[in-house]
Amino acid sequence: MAEDLVLDTAIRDWVLVPLSIVMVLIGVLRYFVSKLMRSHKAPDQKIVKEGQVVIRARNLKAAANFIPAKSFKSRKTYFTNEENGLLHIPPGQAPNPQAQMFSDPNMATDMMKKNLSMIIPQTLTFAWVNFFFSGFVAAKIPFPLTQRFRSMLQNGIDLSTVDVSYVSSRSWYFLNLFGLRGLFSLILGEENATDDTQRMMQMGGGFGMDSSKSLGAEKDSLDIIQHDWVLPKFEQRAEAVLRKLMK
Amino acid sequence: MVGAKEANLVERLESQAEHGGGGVWEYLCLVRKLKLRRSDKVLKYGLQILKDSKARSKLGGEEWTLYEQVAIAAMDCHCFSVAKDCVKSLQKKFPESLRVGRLEGMLLEATGSWEAAEKAYDRLLEDNPLDQVLLKRKASLAKSQGNTSASVEILNKYLEIFMADYDAWRELAELYVSQQMYKQAAFCYEELILCQPTVPLHHLAYAEVLYTMGGLENLQTAKKYYASTIDLTGGKNTRALFGICMCTVAINQVTKGRNKEEKDGSELQSLAAGVLVKEYKQKAPKNLAPLLTTTLKNMKLI
Repeated sequence: MAEDLVLDTAIRDWVLVPLSIVMVLIGVLRYFVSKLMRSHKAPDQKIVKEGQVVIRARNLKAAANFIPAKSFKSRKTYFTNEENGLLHIPPGQAPNPQAQMFSDPNMATDMMKKNLSMIIPQTLTFAWVNFFFSGFVAAKIPFPLTQRFRSMLQNGIDLSTVDVSYVSSRSWYFLNLFGLRGLFSLILGEENATDDTQRMMQMGGGFGMDSSKSLGAEKDSLDIIQHDWVLPKFEQRAEAVLRKLMK
Repeated sequence: MVGAKEANLVERLESQAEHGGGGVWEYLCLVRKLKLRRSDKVLKYGLQILKDSKARSKLGGEEWTLYEQVAIAAMDCHCFSVAKDCVKSLQKKFPESLRVGRLEGMLLEATGSWEAAEKAYDRLLEDNPLDQVLLKRKASLAKSQGNTSASVEILNKYLEIFMADYDAWRELAELYVSQQMYKQAAFCYEELILCQPTVPLHHLAYAEVLYTMGGLENLQTAKKYYASTIDLTGGKNTRALFGICMCTVAINQVTKGRNKEEKDGSELQSLAAGVLVKEYKQKAPKNLAPLLTTTLKNMKLI
């Protein structure tokens, strides 16, 4: 039954290839548009400081055993004490990112710009594909696949009898949307790739990017750390080294 | 930190450039990447490229990076006319740039017009209050004017925000040592050890500060840090070997009157003395070795 389906070469010439080309061109265009719109945002002093505090706390955690116990203890209190420790955030004062966003119009416009460069072209192309190319098979992949891939490859065709290795046009659009990243990194350079999937992740996580959380985590791990000065061991090791040298 | 492989490559490219074998641009790029201070070479070869308009145009946009590099090297070599020309052409190309503004400030600083330099930095800081290079330049400006306490103050303010910047900690530590504020210096060195626990130089410096402070506890700790320096350098650090000897003597002096129950049975000091004698016999001028031996004997270490 699957062998019965013969795809018109016109489909290749007028759907498959143009769709891919359009997707690439849109990707490139979007890259340049977002580059134009990107605003250089000066980092906020508080955010910079929080990042540095986290790095320093991590260093302290990692190398705690290299400094004397007294020094470690004073640093630990400096970081974690309940009054004005660097890592201590008074309860209820943790900044709410949502509220922050509304209070800072810059942040909102930044979001808008990001969304503009991402969502608008995507909805437009999706509407375009949907309008012109929906509801037919556009390509066939040269290997068989299980039924589970049906929803991925045959979006827009509701026929359970068609073999899964046929790809509907709308699914071809999605495959292009997510699969062209490698090509973009070739065209636009390594880090410039317009990485949709990553950006979506950022969108999801970006709202809740909560610095107080990472500070709190560092505080907790500093609280439970046990100090065990390793320097006394070094005396014996140094002795061994010198003995070797004397031989 | 420059790895052995990179250091080799630098040496090779340098000798290649010296003998006219090309690779000058690669050499300059590498020096820039590794942040080496070879100002005389950079000035010589960089000017070679900048004067040759064909070679210069081949670089494309990198040309301006080279201008910056040569300008800084020229300031370091006191070739102010060259530096001025470089900065001027950069100014023409990027009139509003922060990076060029910094260079202008540095040029003023290099020629000794402190006030003008400070004004330039302050003006730039107004727009970019969190620019690390500018803040550090202000600290060094104060230092080169001989105003160490002001420099300390600026660095302290800087480290309040950028507290993970270990280069700044090191600078501050050295400033404190020069001011004989050893307690503060020790704190800075502890911070450095936390950042880079495997760099023996920090251990050594910390030990020296502790030794200078004196007191039994500090001396014992200092000895331990000298020991860790020996371990980390494989016993190649002569200063640490001497440090062990000095610490032992000082500890003995402090504990002289007390009962000897906690006398440690380690042979570290005698071993260190032995290695010192051996090293001096091998490497130092002939008349030094006997001198050392008598000194160590006086200290009752061998």
